[in-house]
Amino acid sequence: MTDRPAASAPSAVTIAAPPAPPPFRELPWHARITVSTVSLAAFLLLAVLSVRVLGGSGRALDTWANFRRFLGRFFPPDFSITGEALAALGETIQIATLATLFAIVLSLPLAVAGAQTLAPRWVVLSTRMLLNAVRTIPSLIWALLAVAVVGANPLAGVIALTFYSLGYLGKFYSDAFESVDPEVARALRALGAGTVQAFQYGLWPQARPLVWSHSLWMLEYNIRSAAIIGYVGAGGIGLQLHAYQEYYQWDRFAAVLILILGLVTTLDFLGEWIRRQIVRKTAAPAHP
Amino acid sequence: MVASASSVHLSLDSLGLQRNGRWLFRGLTWEAPRGRVIAVVGPSGAGKSSLLACLSGQLAPTEGAVRCPLVGGAVPPAAGRARFGVVFQHFALSPNCTLLTNVLCGSLGRHPWWRTLAGFPRADKLRAWALLCDLGLGPLAHRRAGEVSGGEQQRTALLRALFQEPEFILADEPVSQLDTYLTGRVLGLLRQEAREKQRTVFCVLHDPKLVERFADHVLSLDPQNPGGWKVRHLHHD
Repeated sequence: MTDRPAASAPSAVTIAAPPAPPPFRELPWHARITVSTVSLAAFLLLAVLSVRVLGGSGRALDTWANFRRFLGRFFPPDFSITGEALAALGETIQIATLATLFAIVLSLPLAVAGAQTLAPRWVVLSTRMLLNAVRTIPSLIWALLAVAVVGANPLAGVIALTFYSLGYLGKFYSDAFESVDPEVARALRALGAGTVQAFQYGLWPQARPLVWSHSLWMLEYNIRSAAIIGYVGAGGIGLQLHAYQEYYQWDRFAAVLILILGLVTTLDFLGEWIRRQIVRKTAAPAHP
Repeated sequence: MVASASSVHLSLDSLGLQRNGRWLFRGLTWEAPRGRVIAVVGPSGAGKSSLLACLSGQLAPTEGAVRCPLVGGAVPPAAGRARFGVVFQHFALSPNCTLLTNVLCGSLGRHPWWRTLAGFPRADKLRAWALLCDLGLGPLAHRRAGEVSGGEQQRTALLRALFQEPEFILADEPVSQLDTYLTGRVLGLLRQEAREKQRTVFCVLHDPKLVERFADHVLSLDPQNPGGWKVRHLHHD
Protein backbone atom coordinates (compact mmCIF):
# COMPACT_ATOMS: atom_id res chain seq x y z
CA MET A 1 0.00 0.00 0.00
CA THR A 2 2.55 2.55 1.17
CA ASP A 3 5.09 1.80 -1.55
CA ARG A 4 2.63 2.41 -4.35
CA PRO A 5 4.04 5.16 -6.59
CA ALA A 6 2.23 8.42 -6.00
CA ALA A 7 1.75 9.08 -9.71
CA SER A 8 -0.54 6.09 -10.11
CA ALA A 9 -2.90 7.21 -7.38
CA PRO A 10 -5.06 9.60 -9.43
CA SER A 11 -5.64 6.96 -12.12
CA ALA A 12 -7.25 4.74 -9.52
CA VAL A 13 -9.92 7.35 -8.88
CA THR A 14 -12.47 8.00 -11.57
CA ILE A 15 -12.97 11.72 -11.82
CA ALA A 16 -16.49 12.71 -12.83
CA ALA A 17 -16.44 14.64 -16.10
CA PRO A 18 -17.48 18.28 -15.50
CA PRO A 19 -21.00 19.02 -16.75
CA ALA A 20 -21.19 20.63 -20.19
CA PRO A 21 -21.29 24.43 -19.83
CA PRO A 22 -24.61 26.10 -20.61
CA PRO A 23 -24.67 27.87 -24.01
CA PHE A 24 -22.79 31.17 -23.98
CA ARG A 25 -24.88 34.35 -24.19
CA GLU A 26 -23.71 37.95 -24.67
CA LEU A 27 -24.70 40.46 -22.01
CA PRO A 28 -28.05 41.92 -23.17
CA TRP A 29 -27.76 45.50 -24.50
CA HIS A 30 -29.78 47.05 -21.69
CA ALA A 31 -27.44 45.62 -19.08
CA ARG A 32 -24.60 47.68 -20.55
CA ILE A 33 -26.31 51.00 -19.94
CA THR A 34 -24.43 52.55 -17.05
CA VAL A 35 -23.99 56.09 -15.84
CA SER A 36 -20.69 56.34 -17.67
CA THR A 37 -22.06 55.15 -21.06
CA VAL A 38 -25.10 57.41 -20.80
CA SER A 39 -23.03 60.44 -19.87
CA LEU A 40 -20.54 59.69 -22.65
CA ALA A 41 -23.43 59.58 -25.14
CA ALA A 42 -24.83 62.83 -23.75
CA PHE A 43 -21.41 64.47 -24.02
CA LEU A 44 -21.02 63.41 -27.67
CA LEU A 45 -24.53 64.66 -28.46
CA LEU A 46 -23.70 68.00 -26.85
CA ALA A 47 -20.52 68.19 -28.97
CA VAL A 48 -22.52 67.62 -32.16
CA LEU A 49 -25.01 70.34 -31.16
CA SER A 50 -22.10 72.73 -30.46
CA VAL A 51 -20.45 72.58 -33.89
CA ARG A 52 -22.08 75.95 -34.68
CA VAL A 53 -19.46 77.89 -32.68
CA LEU A 54 -16.65 76.64 -34.94
CA GLY A 55 -17.97 78.88 -37.74
CA GLY A 56 -15.92 81.87 -36.55
CA SER A 57 -16.59 85.27 -38.10
CA GLY A 58 -17.72 83.80 -41.40
CA ARG A 59 -15.28 85.99 -43.37
CA ALA A 60 -12.41 84.51 -45.34
CA LEU A 61 -9.37 85.44 -43.24
CA ASP A 62 -5.79 84.50 -43.89
CA THR A 63 -5.57 82.76 -40.52
CA TRP A 64 -2.02 81.50 -40.86
CA ALA A 65 -0.66 84.92 -41.84
CA ASN A 66 -2.52 86.54 -38.96
CA PHE A 67 -1.03 84.08 -36.56
CA ARG A 68 2.50 84.60 -37.88
CA ARG A 69 2.20 88.37 -37.84
CA PHE A 70 0.87 88.46 -34.30
CA LEU A 71 3.41 86.01 -32.95
CA GLY A 72 6.18 87.85 -34.85
CA ARG A 73 5.50 90.92 -32.73
CA PHE A 74 6.41 88.92 -29.61
CA PHE A 75 9.95 88.36 -30.89
CA PRO A 76 12.49 89.22 -29.87
CA PRO A 77 11.18 89.75 -26.31
CA ASP A 78 12.27 93.14 -24.98
CA PHE A 79 13.99 92.45 -21.67
CA SER A 80 14.89 96.11 -21.15
CA ILE A 81 11.87 96.30 -18.84
CA THR A 82 13.10 93.48 -16.56
CA GLY A 83 13.70 95.85 -13.64
CA GLU A 84 10.17 97.24 -13.46
CA ALA A 85 8.67 93.84 -14.28
CA LEU A 86 10.51 92.28 -11.33
CA ALA A 87 9.27 95.08 -9.07
CA ALA A 88 5.71 94.41 -10.25
CA LEU A 89 6.20 90.66 -9.75
CA GLY A 90 7.36 91.45 -6.22
CA GLU A 91 4.13 93.36 -5.66
CA THR A 92 2.19 90.39 -7.05
CA ILE A 93 3.88 88.10 -4.52
CA GLN A 94 3.14 90.59 -1.73
CA ILE A 95 -0.55 90.74 -2.71
CA ALA A 96 -0.77 86.95 -2.83
CA THR A 97 1.06 86.48 0.49
CA LEU A 98 -1.15 88.83 2.46
CA ALA A 99 -4.32 87.54 0.80
CA THR A 100 -3.33 83.97 1.69
CA LEU A 101 -2.55 84.96 5.28
CA PHE A 102 -5.91 86.70 5.74
CA ALA A 103 -7.72 83.79 4.08
CA ILE A 104 -6.03 81.28 6.41
CA VAL A 105 -7.02 83.27 9.50
CA LEU A 106 -10.60 83.75 8.33
CA SER A 107 -11.20 80.25 7.01
CA LEU A 108 -10.05 78.31 10.09
CA PRO A 109 -13.17 79.19 12.14
CA LEU A 110 -15.32 78.70 9.04
CA ALA A 111 -13.73 75.28 8.54
CA VAL A 112 -14.58 74.25 12.10
CA ALA A 113 -18.18 75.32 11.44
CA GLY A 114 -18.15 73.36 8.19
CA ALA A 115 -16.80 70.07 9.52
CA GLN A 116 -19.44 67.42 10.13
CA THR A 117 -17.48 65.96 13.02
CA LEU A 118 -17.24 69.29 14.85
CA ALA A 119 -20.42 71.31 14.33
CA PRO A 120 -24.18 70.67 14.40
CA ARG A 121 -25.74 69.71 11.10
CA TRP A 122 -27.53 72.99 10.32
CA VAL A 123 -24.35 74.99 10.93
CA VAL A 124 -22.41 72.64 8.67
CA LEU A 125 -24.97 72.90 5.86
CA SER A 126 -25.21 76.70 5.94
CA THR A 127 -21.43 77.12 6.17
CA ARG A 128 -20.83 74.77 3.26
CA MET A 129 -23.48 76.59 1.24
CA LEU A 130 -21.79 79.91 1.94
CA LEU A 131 -18.38 78.51 0.97
CA ASN A 132 -19.84 77.08 -2.25
CA ALA A 133 -21.34 80.47 -3.12
CA VAL A 134 -18.00 82.21 -2.50
CA ARG A 135 -16.20 79.64 -4.67
CA THR A 136 -18.61 80.16 -7.58
CA ILE A 137 -17.40 83.73 -8.12
CA PRO A 138 -14.18 83.84 -10.20
CA SER A 139 -11.19 85.80 -8.92
CA LEU A 140 -11.55 88.36 -11.72
CA ILE A 141 -15.09 89.22 -10.60
CA TRP A 142 -13.92 89.55 -6.98
CA ALA A 143 -11.21 91.90 -8.30
CA LEU A 144 -13.78 94.00 -10.20
CA LEU A 145 -15.86 94.28 -7.04
CA ALA A 146 -12.86 95.21 -4.90
CA VAL A 147 -11.64 97.82 -7.40
CA ALA A 148 -15.11 99.35 -7.41
CA VAL A 149 -15.01 99.58 -3.60
CA VAL A 150 -11.42 100.60 -2.74
CA GLY A 151 -10.16 101.85 -6.10
CA ALA A 152 -7.50 100.52 -8.49
CA ASN A 153 -4.58 99.61 -6.21
CA PRO A 154 -2.88 96.58 -4.68
CA LEU A 155 -5.25 96.67 -1.69
CA ALA A 156 -8.06 95.74 -4.06
CA GLY A 157 -5.99 92.72 -5.11
CA VAL A 158 -5.51 91.64 -1.52
CA ILE A 159 -9.23 91.94 -0.77
CA ALA A 160 -10.25 90.12 -3.95
CA LEU A 161 -7.87 87.19 -3.44
CA THR A 162 -8.73 86.94 0.27
CA PHE A 163 -12.38 86.30 -0.54
CA TYR A 164 -11.51 84.05 -3.45
CA SER A 165 -9.19 81.86 -1.34
CA LEU A 166 -11.64 81.78 1.56
CA GLY A 167 -14.02 79.62 -0.45
CA TYR A 168 -11.30 77.08 -1.21
CA LEU A 169 -9.40 77.01 2.07
CA GLY A 170 -12.63 76.79 4.09
CA LYS A 171 -13.60 73.67 2.20
CA PHE A 172 -10.12 72.10 2.24
CA TYR A 173 -9.68 72.68 5.97
CA SER A 174 -13.15 71.26 6.71
CA ASP A 175 -12.25 68.13 4.78
CA ALA A 176 -8.93 67.93 6.64
CA PHE A 177 -10.69 68.13 10.02
CA GLU A 178 -13.20 65.49 8.95
CA SER A 179 -10.48 63.10 7.79
CA VAL A 180 -8.89 63.03 11.26
CA ASP A 181 -9.52 60.03 13.53
CA PRO A 182 -12.00 61.40 16.14
CA GLU A 183 -10.99 58.71 18.66
CA VAL A 184 -8.12 60.75 20.12
CA ALA A 185 -10.20 63.87 20.79
CA ARG A 186 -12.91 61.67 22.33
CA ALA A 187 -10.33 60.01 24.60
CA LEU A 188 -9.03 63.40 25.73
CA ARG A 189 -12.59 64.54 26.48
CA ALA A 190 -13.00 61.37 28.54
CA LEU A 191 -9.97 62.14 30.66
CA GLY A 192 -11.28 65.59 31.52
CA ALA A 193 -10.11 67.90 28.72
CA GLY A 194 -12.34 70.78 27.63
CA THR A 195 -13.54 71.37 24.06
CA VAL A 196 -10.69 73.70 23.17
CA GLN A 197 -8.10 71.39 24.71
CA ALA A 198 -9.48 68.31 22.94
CA PHE A 199 -9.31 70.23 19.66
CA GLN A 200 -5.83 71.60 20.31
CA TYR A 201 -4.21 68.33 21.44
CA GLY A 202 -6.42 65.65 19.88
CA LEU A 203 -7.49 66.96 16.50
CA TRP A 204 -5.30 69.87 15.45
CA PRO A 205 -1.94 67.97 15.57
CA GLN A 206 -3.33 65.45 13.09
CA ALA A 207 -4.90 68.04 10.79
CA ARG A 208 -2.00 70.52 10.91
CA PRO A 209 0.21 69.01 8.15
CA LEU A 210 -2.78 68.90 5.80
CA VAL A 211 -3.82 72.43 6.70
CA TRP A 212 -0.34 73.76 6.04
CA SER A 213 0.01 71.82 2.81
CA HIS A 214 -3.29 73.27 1.54
CA SER A 215 -2.20 76.76 2.61
CA LEU A 216 1.03 76.48 0.61
CA TRP A 217 -0.92 75.30 -2.40
CA MET A 218 -3.23 78.31 -2.02
CA LEU A 219 -0.26 80.69 -1.85
CA GLU A 220 1.08 79.21 -5.05
CA TYR A 221 -2.32 79.48 -6.69
CA ASN A 222 -2.79 83.06 -5.49
CA ILE A 223 0.51 84.17 -6.99
CA ARG A 224 -0.72 82.83 -10.32
CA SER A 225 -4.12 84.53 -9.89
CA ALA A 226 -2.51 87.77 -8.73
CA ALA A 227 -0.74 87.95 -12.07
CA ILE A 228 -4.11 88.17 -13.81
CA ILE A 229 -6.26 90.33 -11.55
CA GLY A 230 -4.02 93.30 -12.33
CA TYR A 231 -5.84 93.36 -15.66
CA VAL A 232 -8.81 95.01 -13.97
CA GLY A 233 -6.62 97.36 -11.96
CA ALA A 234 -5.96 95.40 -8.80
CA GLY A 235 -2.19 95.91 -8.84
CA GLY A 236 0.80 93.69 -9.54
CA ILE A 237 2.25 92.37 -12.76
CA GLY A 238 -1.15 92.14 -14.47
CA LEU A 239 -1.32 95.93 -14.53
CA GLN A 240 1.86 96.00 -16.62
CA LEU A 241 0.66 93.22 -18.91
CA HIS A 242 -2.49 95.22 -19.50
CA ALA A 243 -0.54 98.41 -20.25
CA TYR A 244 1.76 96.71 -22.78
CA GLN A 245 -1.27 95.20 -24.46
CA GLU A 246 -2.98 98.60 -24.70
CA TYR A 247 0.09 100.13 -26.36
CA TYR A 248 0.73 97.11 -28.62
CA GLN A 249 4.17 96.57 -27.05
CA TRP A 250 4.05 92.85 -27.62
CA ASP A 251 7.80 92.35 -27.29
CA ARG A 252 7.63 93.69 -23.75
CA PHE A 253 4.46 91.67 -23.15
CA ALA A 254 6.41 88.55 -24.14
CA ALA A 255 9.24 89.40 -21.75
CA VAL A 256 6.78 89.73 -18.87
CA LEU A 257 5.14 86.42 -19.80
CA ILE A 258 8.51 84.69 -19.74
CA LEU A 259 9.28 86.15 -16.30
CA ILE A 260 5.88 84.98 -14.99
CA LEU A 261 6.52 81.53 -16.46
CA GLY A 262 9.87 81.39 -14.65
CA LEU A 263 8.30 82.38 -11.32
CA VAL A 264 5.38 79.99 -11.59
CA THR A 265 7.59 77.06 -12.59
CA THR A 266 9.93 77.71 -9.68
CA LEU A 267 6.99 77.91 -7.28
CA ASP A 268 5.54 74.73 -8.67
CA PHE A 269 8.70 72.74 -8.02
CA LEU A 270 9.32 74.31 -4.63
CA GLY A 271 5.72 73.92 -3.45
CA GLU A 272 5.53 70.34 -4.64
CA TRP A 273 8.78 69.48 -2.86
CA ILE A 274 7.76 71.13 0.43
CA ARG A 275 4.33 69.50 0.41
CA ARG A 276 5.83 66.08 -0.24
CA GLN A 277 8.18 66.54 2.73
CA ILE A 278 5.33 67.57 5.03
CA VAL A 279 3.04 64.73 4.10
CA ARG A 280 5.76 62.08 4.05
CA LYS A 281 7.02 63.06 7.49
CA THR A 282 3.63 63.00 9.19
CA ALA A 283 1.31 60.70 7.25
CA ALA A 284 3.38 57.53 7.01
CA PRO A 285 4.78 56.55 10.42
CA ALA A 286 8.17 54.94 9.99
CA HIS A 287 8.98 52.33 12.56
CA PRO A 288 12.53 52.48 13.87
CA MET B 1 2.72 51.02 53.12
CA VAL B 2 -0.20 48.68 53.23
CA ALA B 3 -3.73 49.99 53.20
CA SER B 4 -5.14 48.75 56.46
CA ALA B 5 -8.83 49.51 56.66
CA SER B 6 -9.81 49.80 53.03
CA SER B 7 -13.07 51.66 52.68
CA VAL B 8 -15.54 51.15 49.88
CA HIS B 9 -14.52 53.15 46.83
CA LEU B 10 -16.92 52.09 44.12
CA SER B 11 -20.18 50.22 44.50
CA LEU B 12 -21.69 48.26 41.68
CA ASP B 13 -25.41 48.04 42.29
CA SER B 14 -26.99 45.09 40.42
CA LEU B 15 -25.26 46.30 37.29
CA GLY B 16 -26.39 44.82 33.97
CA LEU B 17 -25.41 45.53 30.40
CA GLN B 18 -27.07 44.35 27.24
CA ARG B 19 -25.37 44.76 23.88
CA ASN B 20 -26.80 43.65 20.55
CA GLY B 21 -29.63 41.85 22.33
CA ARG B 22 -27.31 39.80 24.53
CA TRP B 23 -26.67 40.25 28.23
CA LEU B 24 -22.96 40.54 28.95
CA PHE B 25 -23.47 40.56 32.70
CA ARG B 26 -26.44 40.99 35.03
CA GLY B 27 -27.01 41.67 38.69
CA LEU B 28 -23.37 42.53 39.24
CA THR B 29 -23.28 43.71 42.84
CA TRP B 30 -20.01 44.34 44.60
CA GLU B 31 -18.31 46.97 46.69
CA ALA B 32 -14.83 47.59 45.43
CA PRO B 33 -12.43 48.59 48.21
CA ARG B 34 -10.16 51.61 47.87
CA GLY B 35 -6.52 51.21 46.98
CA ARG B 36 -6.69 47.72 45.53
CA VAL B 37 -5.87 46.13 42.22
CA ILE B 38 -8.84 44.34 40.74
CA ALA B 39 -8.20 42.02 37.80
CA VAL B 40 -11.08 41.69 35.35
CA VAL B 41 -10.87 38.32 33.61
CA GLY B 42 -12.95 36.27 31.22
CA PRO B 43 -12.77 34.94 27.68
CA SER B 44 -12.86 37.23 24.64
CA GLY B 45 -16.24 38.85 24.14
CA ALA B 46 -17.20 38.42 27.79
CA GLY B 47 -17.73 42.17 28.17
CA LYS B 48 -14.57 43.12 30.06
CA SER B 49 -13.97 46.31 28.06
CA SER B 50 -17.68 47.15 28.25
CA LEU B 51 -17.59 46.77 32.02
CA LEU B 52 -14.69 49.24 32.23
CA ALA B 53 -16.62 51.64 29.97
CA CYS B 54 -19.60 51.33 32.33
CA LEU B 55 -17.44 52.10 35.36
CA SER B 56 -16.02 55.28 33.82
CA GLY B 57 -19.45 56.40 32.62
CA GLN B 58 -18.54 56.14 28.91
CA LEU B 59 -21.30 53.60 28.52
CA ALA B 60 -24.67 53.73 30.29
CA PRO B 61 -25.57 50.42 31.97
CA THR B 62 -28.83 48.80 30.86
CA GLU B 63 -29.84 48.32 34.48
CA GLY B 64 -28.40 49.07 37.88
CA ALA B 65 -25.91 51.81 38.69
CA VAL B 66 -22.31 52.56 39.53
CA ARG B 67 -21.88 54.70 42.61
CA CYS B 68 -18.72 56.22 43.91
CA PRO B 69 -19.05 57.87 47.31
CA LEU B 70 -17.44 61.29 47.29
CA VAL B 71 -14.71 62.14 49.70
CA GLY B 72 -14.67 65.62 51.18
CA GLY B 73 -17.97 66.87 49.83
CA ALA B 74 -19.11 67.62 46.32
CA VAL B 75 -16.94 67.19 43.27
CA PRO B 76 -17.50 69.66 40.42
CA PRO B 77 -19.08 67.96 37.38
CA ALA B 78 -16.14 68.78 35.07
CA ALA B 79 -13.80 66.98 37.43
CA GLY B 80 -16.08 63.92 37.37
CA ARG B 81 -14.60 62.62 34.17
CA ALA B 82 -11.07 63.32 35.33
CA ARG B 83 -11.56 60.97 38.31
CA PHE B 84 -11.23 58.00 35.95
CA GLY B 85 -7.90 57.41 34.23
CA VAL B 86 -8.49 55.12 31.28
CA VAL B 87 -5.84 53.19 29.35
CA PHE B 88 -7.66 52.53 26.11
CA GLN B 89 -7.23 49.20 24.36
CA HIS B 90 -6.10 50.99 21.19
CA PHE B 91 -4.24 53.65 23.21
CA ALA B 92 -5.92 56.68 21.49
CA LEU B 93 -2.68 58.66 21.56
CA SER B 94 -2.30 61.80 19.45
CA PRO B 95 -0.05 60.39 16.71
CA ASN B 96 1.59 63.68 15.67
CA CYS B 97 2.35 64.77 19.23
CA THR B 98 5.50 63.72 21.05
CA LEU B 99 5.38 61.07 23.76
CA LEU B 100 6.05 63.86 26.29
CA THR B 101 3.04 65.88 25.10
CA ASN B 102 0.87 62.77 25.11
CA VAL B 103 1.73 62.07 28.75
CA LEU B 104 1.16 65.75 29.58
CA CYS B 105 -2.31 65.50 28.03
CA GLY B 106 -3.26 63.51 31.12
CA SER B 107 -3.25 66.78 33.06
CA LEU B 108 -5.63 68.63 30.69
CA GLY B 109 -8.49 68.19 33.15
CA ARG B 110 -6.53 70.07 35.83
CA HIS B 111 -5.78 73.15 33.73
CA PRO B 112 -8.17 75.66 32.14
CA TRP B 113 -7.94 75.80 28.35
CA TRP B 114 -6.13 79.12 28.20
CA ARG B 115 -3.40 77.78 30.48
CA THR B 116 -2.53 74.98 28.02
CA LEU B 117 -2.95 77.09 24.87
CA ALA B 118 0.76 77.85 24.67
CA GLY B 119 1.95 74.52 26.08
CA PHE B 120 2.22 72.94 29.52
CA PRO B 121 3.84 74.34 32.68
CA ARG B 122 7.50 73.47 33.07
CA ALA B 123 6.94 71.69 36.39
CA ASP B 124 4.49 69.33 34.65
CA LYS B 125 7.01 68.69 31.88
CA LEU B 126 9.68 67.69 34.38
CA ARG B 127 7.35 65.24 36.12
CA ALA B 128 6.19 63.73 32.83
CA TRP B 129 9.82 63.37 31.78
CA ALA B 130 10.63 61.55 35.00
CA LEU B 131 7.72 59.14 34.42
CA LEU B 132 8.84 58.46 30.84
CA CYS B 133 12.39 57.76 32.02
CA ASP B 134 10.98 55.43 34.65
CA LEU B 135 9.53 53.14 31.98
CA GLY B 136 12.55 53.42 29.70
CA LEU B 137 11.00 55.93 27.31
CA GLY B 138 13.35 58.82 28.12
CA PRO B 139 15.30 58.67 24.83
CA LEU B 140 12.00 58.68 22.90
CA ALA B 141 10.36 61.55 24.81
CA HIS B 142 10.57 63.90 21.84
CA ARG B 143 9.60 61.35 19.20
CA ARG B 144 6.09 61.48 17.75
CA ALA B 145 3.74 58.80 19.07
CA GLY B 146 2.96 57.68 15.50
CA GLU B 147 6.55 56.64 14.88
CA VAL B 148 7.29 54.53 17.96
CA SER B 149 6.46 50.84 18.41
CA GLY B 150 3.22 49.41 19.79
CA GLY B 151 4.76 48.55 23.15
CA GLU B 152 6.16 52.06 23.48
CA GLN B 153 2.75 53.53 22.66
CA GLN B 154 1.17 51.24 25.24
CA ARG B 155 3.48 52.46 28.00
CA THR B 156 2.85 56.08 26.95
CA ALA B 157 -0.91 55.50 27.16
CA LEU B 158 -0.48 54.10 30.66
CA LEU B 159 1.66 57.05 31.73
CA ARG B 160 -0.96 59.47 30.40
CA ALA B 161 -3.55 57.83 32.65
CA LEU B 162 -1.17 57.96 35.65
CA PHE B 163 -0.33 61.60 34.95
CA GLN B 164 -4.00 62.36 35.23
CA GLU B 165 -3.71 61.46 38.95
CA PRO B 166 -7.14 59.87 38.90
CA GLU B 167 -8.94 58.13 41.74
CA PHE B 168 -9.58 55.14 39.52
CA ILE B 169 -7.35 53.63 36.87
CA LEU B 170 -9.14 51.54 34.27
CA ALA B 171 -6.60 49.68 32.19
CA ASP B 172 -7.71 47.54 29.27
CA GLU B 173 -4.99 44.94 28.71
CA PRO B 174 -2.16 47.33 29.61
CA VAL B 175 0.60 44.77 29.05
CA SER B 176 -0.58 43.02 25.87
CA GLN B 177 2.41 44.26 23.86
CA LEU B 178 5.13 44.19 26.50
CA ASP B 179 7.89 41.70 27.26
CA THR B 180 8.18 39.93 30.63
CA TYR B 181 10.44 42.55 32.20
CA LEU B 182 8.26 45.51 31.19
CA THR B 183 5.09 43.64 32.13
CA GLY B 184 6.48 43.32 35.65
CA ARG B 185 7.46 47.00 35.71
CA VAL B 186 4.06 48.23 34.48
CA LEU B 187 1.95 46.04 36.74
CA GLY B 188 4.28 46.81 39.64
CA LEU B 189 3.76 50.50 38.95
CA LEU B 190 -0.03 50.03 38.97
CA ARG B 191 0.21 48.14 42.25
CA GLN B 192 2.37 50.88 43.71
CA GLU B 193 -0.16 53.53 42.61
CA ALA B 194 -2.89 51.53 44.34
CA ARG B 195 -0.98 51.02 47.57
CA GLU B 196 0.81 54.32 47.99
CA LYS B 197 -1.69 56.72 46.47
CA GLN B 198 -4.88 54.86 47.34
CA ARG B 199 -6.05 54.66 43.75
CA THR B 200 -8.35 51.80 42.80
CA VAL B 201 -7.13 49.93 39.75
CA PHE B 202 -9.34 47.85 37.44
CA CYS B 203 -7.18 45.95 35.03
CA VAL B 204 -8.17 43.54 32.25
CA LEU B 205 -5.64 40.70 32.29
CA HIS B 206 -5.41 37.38 30.47
CA ASP B 207 -2.43 35.63 32.01
CA PRO B 208 -3.51 33.76 35.20
CA LYS B 209 0.04 33.93 36.58
CA LEU B 210 0.02 37.72 36.36
CA VAL B 211 -3.41 37.81 38.00
CA GLU B 212 -2.14 35.74 40.92
CA ARG B 213 0.94 37.91 41.29
CA PHE B 214 -0.48 41.41 41.00
CA ALA B 215 -4.20 41.45 41.80
CA ASP B 216 -5.95 41.69 45.15
CA HIS B 217 -9.33 40.72 43.77
CA VAL B 218 -10.41 38.90 40.64
CA LEU B 219 -13.69 39.75 38.97
CA SER B 220 -14.47 37.10 36.38
CA LEU B 221 -17.17 37.35 33.75
CA ASP B 222 -18.77 34.40 32.01
CA PRO B 223 -20.16 35.03 28.50
CA GLN B 224 -22.34 31.87 28.66
CA ASN B 225 -23.99 32.89 31.89
CA PRO B 226 -24.47 36.66 32.42
CA GLY B 227 -25.43 36.18 36.06
CA GLY B 228 -22.46 33.92 36.71
CA TRP B 229 -19.90 36.62 37.49
CA LYS B 230 -17.62 35.86 40.43
CA VAL B 231 -15.40 37.87 42.72
CA ARG B 232 -12.44 36.08 44.25
CA HIS B 233 -10.16 37.54 46.91
CA LEU B 234 -6.48 36.81 46.72
CA HIS B 235 -4.42 37.08 49.85
CA HIS B 236 -1.29 39.06 49.45
CA ASP B 237 1.13 40.45 52.00
